[in-house]
Amino acid sequence: MNSVNDRSRDIGPFVPGADDDMLICRCEEITKGEIRQAVHDGMWTITEIRRYLRAGMGLCQGQTCSRLVKGIVARELGVSPAELEPATSRVPMRPIEMHVFANEAREVDQHES
Amino acid sequence: MKRYDLIIVGAGPSGLSAAIEAAKKGLDVVVFDENEKPGGQLFKQIHKFFGSKEHRAKVRGFVIGQQLLDEADEAGVKVVLNATVIGLYQDKEVVVRIGEEICHYKADAVVIATGAAENMVTFPGWTLPGVIGAGAAQTMMNLHGVKPGKRILMLGSGNVGLVVSFQLLQSGCEVVALVDAAPRVGGYGVHAAKVARTGVLFYLSHTIVSAEGDECVTGVTIAEIDDKFNFIPGTEKHFDVDTICLAVGLSPMSQLLKMAGAKMEDNPKRGGQVPICDEYGRTSIPGVFVAGDVSGIEEASSAMIEGRMAGIVAAEYLGYIDDKVMETELAGLDKALDGLRQGMFAPKNRGKSIEKTEEGIDISQNLLKKGFVGDDEIERFPGVTHRKGIHPVIECTQNIPCNPCQDVCGKKCISIGDNITSLPIAVTDSECVNCGMCVASCSGQAIFLVDEDCGDGSATVTLPYEFLPLPAEGTKGIALGRNGQEVCEATVVSVKSLKAFDKTNLLTMRVPKEYAMKARFFRVKTEEAAV
Repeated sequence: MNSVNDRSRDIGPFVPGADDDMLICRCEEITKGEIRQAVHDGMWTITEIRRYLRAGMGLCQGQTCSRLVKGIVARELGVSPAELEPATSRVPMRPIEMHVFANEAREVDQHES
Repeated sequence: MKRYDLIIVGAGPSGLSAAIEAAKKGLDVVVFDENEKPGGQLFKQIHKFFGSKEHRAKVRGFVIGQQLLDEADEAGVKVVLNATVIGLYQDKEVVVRIGEEICHYKADAVVIATGAAENMVTFPGWTLPGVIGAGAAQTMMNLHGVKPGKRILMLGSGNVGLVVSFQLLQSGCEVVALVDAAPRVGGYGVHAAKVARTGVLFYLSHTIVSAEGDECVTGVTIAEIDDKFNFIPGTEKHFDVDTICLAVGLSPMSQLLKMAGAKMEDNPKRGGQVPICDEYGRTSIPGVFVAGDVSGIEEASSAMIEGRMAGIVAAEYLGYIDDKVMETELAGLDKALDGLRQGMFAPKNRGKSIEKTEEGIDISQNLLKKGFVGDDEIERFPGVTHRKGIHPVIECTQNIPCNPCQDVCGKKCISIGDNITSLPIAVTDSECVNCGMCVASCSGQAIFLVDEDCGDGSATVTLPYEFLPLPAEGTKGIALGRNGQEVCEATVVSVKSLKAFDKTNLLTMRVPKEYAMKARFFRVKTEEAAV
């Protein structure tokens, strides 16, 4: 475990901010205040934030907000964003309808020109 | 499962270049791209590229895109569009969504050339319709022929912000301000200068306080910031705008590599999460290569060279060429890439404050802070000289890797020498024949042909003009200075649009001779312009 994730570290109390109601993750409608509060609730990694709030889990899959979320979490923890481990990358890389995801092509060659 | 020697993800400049290089060496290559058109960002790039001949300098981006597609076709590369790679698994299994189906492919080698995505910044109102990425604005204008808005504020003075601002002006939008939190313009001075001379005001050390509007953007407030990024009270400025463009950097789209298990690092100098790779794009996974912005943000010219490198190392990895052939070919590309990575804006100089050119001349501070070279600064650069008759005035004042002006002048009036980043020198003992090729070839639109004294109290200034409609001969208007402010009355003497100029029109205007070295843009008088 690296020092960033040393949960015995005191990051101080949650201090409300003037821009806490600003949307950060537009797809899942998560605000800056919710993300900051989540850090004080003990969510110190991007993976935890994703599971706890669903920030970055919507239609754009964090394409817009992942960097912003990372910045907010890092600032709350008092570390550099580069020190935070990024979220896990998983299949599918892009949002995809279940009926497509389950539809395995039988003959690949037909798609090629 | 269908097998290929090489699967490439992304049909942008680097992916296509890798495909061409590998296919030429006999590999069976397929390129998947999630977009409906190939070329990545190239087809949005309507400006002329920098560099030298080997980097396809002075060719417009979309033309380079077409050249690459033709080359790929000739080399036998398959490009599959609307094909989204959704997974990269062990043993190089590539899973692709094509239409309504999931297809599985297997490759012996993979090149990831997925490029980058635009960054965003937050401020109250940033989620309002009308706040868009600069890349999105470019897509709307240059691919779909749609004006993003009428009155626009641009945030970001890097090359993307500067180039897109100019394109917005070309498409008929009004750019009310160019704003950057940094204290200095981030992009090429020549890009800034061509925007500033049209009258766009630059606000450095400023950023957006808030965007206003209930249902969409109706206005924006900016304010100056101190060195700790706090707003300075009392410095607020308000603009009525319907669009705010954000050009605040790019982040590599490297998720496929992370998924595949490549060793990654968070490297702010390369733009964020990037794979750890060697100079030719070899990642920690044998047979998985990277090229272009996904391995570190640069630009299209270097991406094309990186792509070719990745194609060559992939061919060697699979045994299609031996290591000697590889070394020879890479050595040539090393040199080409090194040429692009020189000068004031080289990756190694990122974040550094450079005060003097390689020649030891003080860099224009106005250019860095306001976007234009001051009238009192311009004389110290070697491209600016005075003599009788028509002669080129080269207002190229920063060391950037670019030399087409030297190559096109048949009369050797312009000299850069072997060092591609050297400032161009106006050679005084050569004879300028007023052919205009230097003006049209300058990707930075920084060359003017000036006759400082026509003998009747007037002077003529020929400038690059890429706006429509073209003013007719005899049109009266206003000459603007480098700073975009009115300097004097001007009359259009001629507008030349030769094929060799490649859509850069040469507008010659007559001005009183005392303004020969000040007048640098032509604006049609507003009552005539109001259409």
